[in-house]
Amino acid sequence: MAALDNSQDYVIEMLHITKEFPGIKANDDITLQLRRGEIHALLGENGAGKSTLMSVLFGLYQPEQGEIRKNGERVLINNPNDATALGIGMVHQHFKLVEVFTVLDNIILGAETTGALGFLKKAEARKKVQALSEKYGLKVDLDAKVEDITVGMQQRVEILKMLYRDNEILIFDEPTAVLTPQEIEELMATMKEFAREGKSILFISHKLNEIMAVADRVSVLRKGKYVGTVNTADTNKQELSNMMVGRPVQLVVTKDDARPGEDVLRVEHFSVPSHVHKRNAVNDVSFTVRAGEIVCIAGIDGNGQTELVYGLSGMDKSNGGSVTLCGEDITHYSIHRRGGNMSHIPEDRHKHGLVLDFTLEQNLVLQRFREPQFQHAGFIDEGAVRGYAQRLIEQYDVRSGQGPVTKARSMSGGNQQKAIIAREVDRDKPLIIAVQPTRGLDVGAIEYIHSQLVAERDRGKAILLVSLELDEVMSLSDRILVMYEGEIVGELDPKKTNVQELGLYMAGAKREGKEALA
Amino acid sequence: MNQKEPLLQREGAKSVLASLLSIAIGLAFGALAILVVGLASRDLGAGSAWEGIRLIFGGLFSTGRGASGALTWGFNGQNIGNMLFRAMPLIMTGLSVAMAYKTGLFNIGAPGQYLMGTLASLAIALGIPSGALPKPLIWLLAFCGAILAGAIWGAIPGALKAFLNINEVIACIMTNWIAANFVTWMFSISNFKNVVENTKSSYIYKTTYGLVDGKYVSGAGIATSKMGLDKVFPGSQINGGILIAILFAIGVYVMMEKTTFGYELKACGSNRHAARYAGISDRRNIVLSMVIAGGLSAAGAGLYCLSGNTEFFWSTYQSLPAIGFNGIPVALLAVCNPIGVIFTAIFMSMLSISGLQLTNLTAYNEYITDVIIAVIVYLSAFSLVIKMWLGRRKDKVGAVDANAEPLVPKSEPKTVSEAKGGDEA
Amino acid sequence: MTFLIQQTLLYAVPLMIVALAGVFAERSGIINLALEGIMIFGAFIGVLFVRIMQGSAWIGAAKAANAYGTLQLFGVLAMLVAAIFGALFSLLLSFASINLRADQTIGGTALNLMAPALALFFIRLIANQNTLYIDGDGPSWFMIKKAMFGYGRTEKMSWLGETFINKMYLATYICIILFIVLSILLYKTRFGLRLRACGENPQAADSLGINVYHMRYAGTTISGALAGMGGFVYALTTANCTSNGDVAGFGFLALAVMIFGNWKPLNIAGASLLFGLFKCIAAAYSSIDINGDGVYLLKEIGINENVYRMLPYVITLIVLAFTSKSSRAPKAEGIPYDKGQR
Repeated sequence: MAALDNSQDYVIEMLHITKEFPGIKANDDITLQLRRGEIHALLGENGAGKSTLMSVLFGLYQPEQGEIRKNGERVLINNPNDATALGIGMVHQHFKLVEVFTVLDNIILGAETTGALGFLKKAEARKKVQALSEKYGLKVDLDAKVEDITVGMQQRVEILKMLYRDNEILIFDEPTAVLTPQEIEELMATMKEFAREGKSILFISHKLNEIMAVADRVSVLRKGKYVGTVNTADTNKQELSNMMVGRPVQLVVTKDDARPGEDVLRVEHFSVPSHVHKRNAVNDVSFTVRAGEIVCIAGIDGNGQTELVYGLSGMDKSNGGSVTLCGEDITHYSIHRRGGNMSHIPEDRHKHGLVLDFTLEQNLVLQRFREPQFQHAGFIDEGAVRGYAQRLIEQYDVRSGQGPVTKARSMSGGNQQKAIIAREVDRDKPLIIAVQPTRGLDVGAIEYIHSQLVAERDRGKAILLVSLELDEVMSLSDRILVMYEGEIVGELDPKKTNVQELGLYMAGAKREGKEALA
Repeated sequence: MNQKEPLLQREGAKSVLASLLSIAIGLAFGALAILVVGLASRDLGAGSAWEGIRLIFGGLFSTGRGASGALTWGFNGQNIGNMLFRAMPLIMTGLSVAMAYKTGLFNIGAPGQYLMGTLASLAIALGIPSGALPKPLIWLLAFCGAILAGAIWGAIPGALKAFLNINEVIACIMTNWIAANFVTWMFSISNFKNVVENTKSSYIYKTTYGLVDGKYVSGAGIATSKMGLDKVFPGSQINGGILIAILFAIGVYVMMEKTTFGYELKACGSNRHAARYAGISDRRNIVLSMVIAGGLSAAGAGLYCLSGNTEFFWSTYQSLPAIGFNGIPVALLAVCNPIGVIFTAIFMSMLSISGLQLTNLTAYNEYITDVIIAVIVYLSAFSLVIKMWLGRRKDKVGAVDANAEPLVPKSEPKTVSEAKGGDEA
Repeated sequence: MTFLIQQTLLYAVPLMIVALAGVFAERSGIINLALEGIMIFGAFIGVLFVRIMQGSAWIGAAKAANAYGTLQLFGVLAMLVAAIFGALFSLLLSFASINLRADQTIGGTALNLMAPALALFFIRLIANQNTLYIDGDGPSWFMIKKAMFGYGRTEKMSWLGETFINKMYLATYICIILFIVLSILLYKTRFGLRLRACGENPQAADSLGINVYHMRYAGTTISGALAGMGGFVYALTTANCTSNGDVAGFGFLALAVMIFGNWKPLNIAGASLLFGLFKCIAAAYSSIDINGDGVYLLKEIGINENVYRMLPYVITLIVLAFTSKSSRAPKAEGIPYDKGQR
């Protein structure tokens, strides 16, 4: 803490910031100090608290404890306007652009220069933007509509927005997630140029290559806590990866070795288009899942896992390759037909998993209500549904206020998830796709769900697990496939690898067959 | 595990309470308006305002004025019969709106569907010559024709929504006015305009007129059976149609609550994404939902027109039938419960009877009841807020599961407008 | 031809201004289904204002002296009053949909039910019948006459004068000027830029320090004022300055104009002229002599007038169907903005 004394070194200091949300400390006593003219990376896994910390700095959240200083003086940032007034600008992960406006209109919006009667002086603004654009080599077409330009150019617009407002502290929230390699290189060069000019940059990322390439210092967060700050010159990717994920696996799942049988799911050269950018979200992916094994797709959020599952379950259309399930080509089947051999524990239990206004028993037959055992001539056999629900509730220990007639909305998150697991497991299909089945749950529920999945594996089910939690990946899977930018970059054996190596793959620093660039 | 929740904690109880609160505020607003007008006006005064207020609340049991000029009260069979008669089409349009709303669609197209039902039922009833078919069969044909016409009319916005993701509200508004002009056009070139009673040329014949040798003769046509109800409520317009409407309400309730079809519709309505995930065809269900909603509205028109004692002003291109729009408050007040619709429709009709009494007995007029209805609709636009407020109050009474999900999800799929934007269909 | 142009203009201008009212609300992110209701309310208030003022000494003297200027001013004043009350009425919608995040469709429907009910309730109390009239040949007080320009009873103005000045209303031209001014406001000023941003991406606007709630209030209030004024102009120019709790679906037709015009002022102007022409033909198709050569072309074609009335709605529906993929409705319209959700 000696660094606190010579505060004139720091342009922004966030001291002992604590931010709590109901049930979770997103930031726990975090201190971050940004020097003038440096590029400071903020590294951490999903949910480590990076975004929360930046939202505090940008005035979107108010911290419970701690203070923010600018140039050594305490400041209060209650909203984005305050942040802008202090010269803080942010390129959000999801761009804040008005799609039908021109580039110029987007840049001046909120900081317009006007003449009499509030008429816009666009010519003046255009000159200023053009000057900035030339100075930093940020090529944009000022009269194009934002919806018509590439994602890379949209990002340049966001950067120009900050420059136009003369911001000197620039926050980049995962700026490379949507860019092509060339665009990433250009961005890196631009960031370095800014730093040379004395602007200070906060760079949020979990990609080690980029951090090593561009940052001066790195602060690492893990599970809401501050781990440490190091100079990139004094460290290496392995050490950073250890800081990010580095801890022994805490969860222990007792399971025997897998005894894999025949191929249940075979995916070949499979591609799914993206809704966000023009590239494929899933690109030319091939793998198999055999009966009696748990195959885990590991990776950092947003690398195509969601789209892969949508493609496999039929919720999104694929644009290449084939999917074979139990020997049947299901590439063009409807969701309903795929359901014949596939259970699916969805990623978003509120959006897809449950009809929240339905009762528990209604939710438990969401796919099965048309089966003869639950209906006669179109009339639902309430007795049969009730009986079935009661069996599942007992067998899977789903707890709720009023049993089968509880509204799903009023159940706790853990029990909602248990209900979905019960429904999907009990459908007894050869393949179970489980996407982040333990997200947001407490330890008890997690253990329960893990043991259920292992039990199903031992009954000969093929299980495809998508998880962002390294603990879960390491302890549950029989094989690990790492996804990075829509492709499978490595297949690992959990017994022969460790979280450190896994971390390198997930951050794109390592790739099967070849070492990744830089 | 099956512990009972406190009564007020239950979802249903909260909804009923929210509706009662809306009604109370609406009535209070109406009473206040009467009072303000009464006090502000030179001619009316506080005494007449007090009469007006009493009639708003109890107009159903008004029996006119006594010899002394004071309002008299008591059982009024005619009022009650007329109330039930007016409730008959309202139940149907209310069911239409309620049923669509449960499936996530705001059927503001009820007036248009109602008009198409009017056209079909009258055209069939008056178009088939007397004696060509047995009267009950003509009645049935006309009624079914109305349903079919409404179903087709409902299918248009339904299909536009399902396949092209066009906001059903906008499409319904357009089809409403197309219907208004279409119906006017059809009747204007028809032979159904009343030329027998010489002051009634802008009206279509009552269905009690029948086509005999190319001429319309009173009494040769058809009318819904009274089923003895006119004995219970003498002097009123009531007929057996009210029983048919109630049967429809029960039928819709059974369909929505007891069948796999209703289950599918509701699943699509409350969470289109989850329905898709579960392999339910959301498009098919959207179209079917609007088809049924259209049929229900039009059935209401059929019941009303085939009563035999109603006349239709055919040059309707400048206005849409209020019965169609009033289906909206009927449904919203009933929280879209089909059985509840019966009661809210009767309540609305009671208001309109009160309005008539107000017009007949005081210097005020029946439009104040429309104001009350509008206030109630306005309040139901944010009934969720009211319910949340009720819920918060009750939190202090009964403990709730601390882990429970919030009452209002981030995206309430039921709002009409919400569905417009991002649905990738 | 003169008749056709005059009548088309009289129908088109209220449509145009009310469609612009819709644009201001929707561009700020609020769906204003209540255009019809606000028009009814504005028409009622405007006519009521004229009815109350007509007996005043000021107007009485002006009428007696044929003081055209004063009477025109009186008309403008009535428009202003209708606009103010339209804006006040629309606050009900703003409050529900902005502060309470209510369903905007239901809120708008409520206003549509409320306006005719309120209007009729008071009309019946005031006039003891269902229509509120003003004295004698009221509307003609506000009409521009060739006599104002020194023409005698039998003299004719030039064709332009006969078409665009004689027997037209100042209100029509005020609306056209207002339409142009407000369109410029929407596209060329800071206010307009910010308003449009709130209807497209309120989160982005908020992150740039724009108060979304204020902008949406501004949008709906301007919308209410324009619709209220449009309602009165409709009553004045096409309904003989009477009010009966009804504007014959003009508000909904304006909604169709707005959609058909793709939320853009220039297209809306064109669309309202087209729809105004249909209205005009439907109202008087058997007596329109287009070239003045004694041939009643439209009558001879023999298409039923209801077809012309129906056409605007049918066309709008078809346009919607064909452009649904590329529809330019403001992206965020109808979605309540919640500052807490980013």
